[in-house]
Amino acid sequence: MRRDGFWFFFVLFEGLVLLLSMPYSQGQAFDLSGKPINPLTYSSGKPVILLFVRTDCPISNRYAPKIKQLSETYGAKATFWMIYPDKDESAASIGNHLQEYAYKIPALRDPTHVLVKRSQVQVTPEAAVFNAKGELIYHGRIDNWYDSIGRSRPVATSHELADGIEAALHGTPLASKTASPVGCYISDLQ
Amino acid sequence: MISRRTAVIGFMAGVLLASRSRAAQPQLPASSVQRVTFSADIAPILFRNCASCHHAGEAGPFPLVSYGDAKKHARQIAEVTRLRIMPPWLPEPGEAKFTDEQRLSTEQIASIGNWVEQGALEGNPADLPTLPKFVAGWQLGTPDLIISAKKPFRLPASGGDRYWNFVLPVPIDQTRWLKAIEIRPGNKRLVHHANILVDRAQSARHRHKDALAGFGGMDLGIESEFFDPDSHFLFWKPGTVPYVEPEGMSLRLDKGADLILNIHVQPSGKPELITPSVGLYFTNKPATLHPMLLQIENDAKLDIPPGEENFIVTDSLTLPVDVDVLAIYPHCHYLGKNIQGSATLPDGSTRSLIHIPRWDLNWQAVYRYQEPIFLPKGTTVTMRYTYDNSAGNVANPNHPPQRVTAGNRARDEMAHLWLQVLPRSVNMGDGDPRMALQEAVAKHKVEKDPLDFESHYNFAAMLQSRGKLEAALAQYEAALAIRPGDAVANNALGGALLAANRVDRAVNHLKAALQNRPDYFDAHYNLGSALAAEGDFAAAAEQFRSAVRLNPEDADAEANLGSALAQIGQLTEAIAHFEKALKLNPEHELARENLKQVRNMAH
Repeated sequence: MRRDGFWFFFVLFEGLVLLLSMPYSQGQAFDLSGKPINPLTYSSGKPVILLFVRTDCPISNRYAPKIKQLSETYGAKATFWMIYPDKDESAASIGNHLQEYAYKIPALRDPTHVLVKRSQVQVTPEAAVFNAKGELIYHGRIDNWYDSIGRSRPVATSHELADGIEAALHGTPLASKTASPVGCYISDLQ
Repeated sequence: MISRRTAVIGFMAGVLLASRSRAAQPQLPASSVQRVTFSADIAPILFRNCASCHHAGEAGPFPLVSYGDAKKHARQIAEVTRLRIMPPWLPEPGEAKFTDEQRLSTEQIASIGNWVEQGALEGNPADLPTLPKFVAGWQLGTPDLIISAKKPFRLPASGGDRYWNFVLPVPIDQTRWLKAIEIRPGNKRLVHHANILVDRAQSARHRHKDALAGFGGMDLGIESEFFDPDSHFLFWKPGTVPYVEPEGMSLRLDKGADLILNIHVQPSGKPELITPSVGLYFTNKPATLHPMLLQIENDAKLDIPPGEENFIVTDSLTLPVDVDVLAIYPHCHYLGKNIQGSATLPDGSTRSLIHIPRWDLNWQAVYRYQEPIFLPKGTTVTMRYTYDNSAGNVANPNHPPQRVTAGNRARDEMAHLWLQVLPRSVNMGDGDPRMALQEAVAKHKVEKDPLDFESHYNFAAMLQSRGKLEAALAQYEAALAIRPGDAVANNALGGALLAANRVDRAVNHLKAALQNRPDYFDAHYNLGSALAAEGDFAAAAEQFRSAVRLNPEDADAEANLGSALAQIGQLTEAIAHFEKALKLNPEHELARENLKQVRNMAH
C-alpha cells in the first residue's frame, strides 16, 4: 500500500512537470488564464501603455503607487497593461503580486520576450508608450526618482512616462523618445 | 541640586555586521580569459559575502543561494558589485581594520564581471562550496527577555524615507546586566538601520505625548540628571549578527529604564506594519570595564548655502587621558559626501580612524575595530566632513537646494563623529578617567561656541561634579549672561554659591529662579537651605513647606522642614515632618537624630 501511495504521488508530480515545460508558441504573450493576447491590437483607437515589472525587483515594487496613480489618471483615454517578462513566474504568483500591491491593471506574461523586444525595454520597471496608430513613441523610465540602483531622489523631478502619454494623446512632440531606466535587467531572465 | 545634562545622540548602538559563517576562500581565475563558472568561482564569493542577507526571510529582496538565483540576477550582480553598491560597505580600506568587513576585492569583482560576459555558466556542481548554515529566529538563542513594540508603525505605500521611535519599557524589578541585545527590526526588507538608546530617566516619555505609541524623528535627545557614562553602541543593519559584549563590558539596565528603538525605513510600494522586538541576554557579571561614547561634533558650523558642493565642517578634540578606541560611528544626513576621522598623536604622526569617500545615509553603520586603537593622552582626534548641497547631489532633500542648518529632521544636517573609547586609568588617584574626558568635551564645546547657553551650563555642571567649584561658578555666570532669567541656571548657580558658602549671593539667584518659575521644587529646597544657613529659620520653613507641597515624596525636604520648624519652636509640627521623612525613607539618619532630640526637648 505504501508503495502504491508513492507511485500515485510520483505520477501526479510528473504530470505537473510536463505542464510547466509545455513549449510556448513563439511570439505571443498570455493573460493569467493562459490565453494568448496581443495588447497592441486588443483595443483599437487608444494609446497603449505597457509596464514591465517583476515580482522580485524592489525598485519595480516601489513604483507600484506611481504606476497605479498614472493608470487612474489616464485609464479612460489609454489602455494599461502590466507585463511580467520572467518565464518562470507562474500565473498564480503574478495573481498574488497584483493583489498584494492592489494593482487593478490587467497583467500579461511575456515568457518569450516578444513584448520586451517590440518595446525595446531593458529593465524592470520600464514603460513603453504606443500611440493610437500602434507606433512606439516612448520607452524608458517612468520618472527620474532613481538615479542609479543605489541612489534615489526624495521625489522625482522629471516625469517622462506622463509626458509620453500626453504626447500619445495629443500628438505633441516629445523631447526624447527614450530616457535611461534604473532597475533589474530583463536580459538576466533569458 | 540637580544638574541637568542633555546629550543629543545621533542614535546609535552596538551590534555588528558579521557575516554569519565563512565559506571557503574563493578560488580566483588566474586571468580573465580563464573560464569562470558559478560552481567553482562565483558561488564562493556570493555564499561568503551576499547570502547572509540574500536568503529567505532576510533583508535581501531575492535569494542568492543557488545557480538559478544568481543567473536570474547575473548582470545586475555584476553591475552593483562593480559600482560597489553591493555588498554595502562604506569605509575605504585603510590601516585600521574593521571587524566583518563586507568588501569584495578587485579580483572578486572582475571575476563576477567575467562570469557574466562568458554567459553566466554553471560549471560542475561538484565544485560548489557548502552553503553556510543560516539560523532562523533569534541568532543568539532564546533571549532571557523579549520586549516587543506595543503598537506597530504603519508605513505607507509611497513617499520618502521615514524615521520612527518605539519606546520599549523594560519589565525588570532590579538592576540587571546585559551581555547582548538582539534587535529584530520587524521587517528586515524595509528597515535600513535601527538603533537603541537606553533612556534611564524616561525622558522620551516626558517629552512626547503618548510616547508609548511611538513618535517620528531621525535623531533623539536623551536628558540625563546625572553623569551616566555607560556607553555602548546598540545598532542593527541588514546582515548584522548580534554583538556579544566582551567579558567585563556588560551593560547596566536599571529598573524603570526605557529602551528607545529608532528605525529608518523606506516605503516598499504597499502599506506595511512594522512591529520590532528586542531580545535581552542577561549576565550575572557586572561591568568591570567602562567604555564611554565620545562625541566630536560641530553642528554649530552647519550653515550650508544652497548650491554649495564642498562645504567643510571640522572639529578636533585633544584627549586628556590615554584611551583605546573600540568602535566608531560617523553620522550625518543626506548632504554628507566625504567623511574623515583621524588622530594626530603627540609625536606628530597621523593615523586614519575612518574614511568614507562616498557617504550614503542608507548604509550608515557602527564600525568596530578588529584591534582597539591606542591613542595616548595628548592625541588630537579630528573629524572633517564635506557636504554637497547642490542639485547634483541626488539625495538632496530640497529641490531646488535650500540653505541647510543643523537639526534632527531629514532635511536638516548633522556633523557627528562618535567614538567608543575605553579610557586607561594611569593612577588610581586621578579618579574616573571618563570624567576627565567628559570635562574636556564640555570645555571644548564652550570654546567652540562661546555664545551657547547649554555648553556653559553643561561645562559648569561637569566642573562642579568634579569638585572644581570656582571654575563652575564662572561657567554658570557665563550661562546666565546669555540667558539672565533662566530658572535652571539661577538655581544651579545658587546651589553652587551655597556650596561655596556665599550665602547672600546664593539667596539672590535662588529668588531669581523662583521669580521665573514659582513651582520649582529644587529652587525652593535650595533657597530653604540658604535661608537656614543665614539663620532665618522662619523664612526657611516657608520654602521647605513649598518644596514638600510640590514633591510630597521627598524625604530630605520633609526632614529639613522639620528642622526649620524645630528651630523656631514649633515642635509638634516638626515631629510630624520628621516622622513623614522617616516614613518615606526609614534610613534617613538626619530625620531620626533630629526626631530623637526634638522629642527630648518636648518632654
